[in-house]
Amino acid sequence: MDDEPTVLTQGEQLSFWIEHRFLLLIIGTLVVATILVSISIVIYNVSGSAQLDLSRPGYQSVSNKVDRTDPVTDYSAFGPVNKGTVNDFTTIYDQQADKAKGVDAFNGDPLNPEVLEFGDPTTFAQ
Amino acid sequence: MNTRVRLVAFALIAASLLSVFALKNTYAEDLSADQVSRISANCLSIKGSLNQLHASDALLRVNRGQIYESMGSKLMGNFNARLGNNGLDNKGLVVVSDEYQTALATFRNDYQAYEKQLSTTIKIDCSKDQVGFHTALLDARTKRTTVHDDILHLNQYIDDYRSAVNDFMLNFDRVTGSN
Repeated sequence: MDDEPTVLTQGEQLSFWIEHRFLLLIIGTLVVATILVSISIVIYNVSGSAQLDLSRPGYQSVSNKVDRTDPVTDYSAFGPVNKGTVNDFTTIYDQQADKAKGVDAFNGDPLNPEVLEFGDPTTFAQ
Repeated sequence: MNTRVRLVAFALIAASLLSVFALKNTYAEDLSADQVSRISANCLSIKGSLNQLHASDALLRVNRGQIYESMGSKLMGNFNARLGNNGLDNKGLVVVSDEYQTALATFRNDYQAYEKQLSTTIKIDCSKDQVGFHTALLDARTKRTTVHDDILHLNQYIDDYRSAVNDFMLNFDRVTGSN
């Protein structure tokens, strides 16, 4: 008989969680989802994936110009090594090296204030 | 003695604050009144040019990056592995390909820094904050030059690896006795 009040208190606490368990489940799910999405966005930005994602707004004009075919031929890591196989490798390597070096990427100075037409006119005159 | 320490500390703090202030003002002084007005007047067209550059550089990063990544993993890495699998000395080649991979990682990081800086520059309202815009633009310009230097380093390592393959072949011919 002396334990009755204690039993009732526990029962009241349990009934609160049971009564709101669906709402708590939804809130818990949303909290977990928000945390996971936040972590994903941080990884997306920090890892450099964002810079490779041309589906972002502002990149529609170039997204269809991505080279979808991998231009580099795979060279097998297994097999014999002799003059013939090394020559095969050098042929493939030279072709790919020419492709890689064929474009002087990020050359020029497009961010020069003079190119952007707000350079100092006195500098222009010199 | 205590006063002297305080004086030195005060002088150091004052010197560092002055240098920061001077650095900030250098950019501001670089910008003439005429330039400020031209940035304001041409703000939209400048932003348009920057947006175009932003998109074309992103495409360049994807397409060129793909080639450089494949050169490292599909050619250098696999050739090194094949030599290793056959018990041949590939140390010279591994050294160059490791340097190439390091240069590639530097390129990735530098491009990321450049892209973030260019995005920051584009977000600045150049019709209101001309000095801030100009400073951010110069920073992006420097970072783009660094990315170009990284490309030159990668090209140099591609040539170095080719030379290392020639050296390997010379040794290989000598050891196997083939002509």
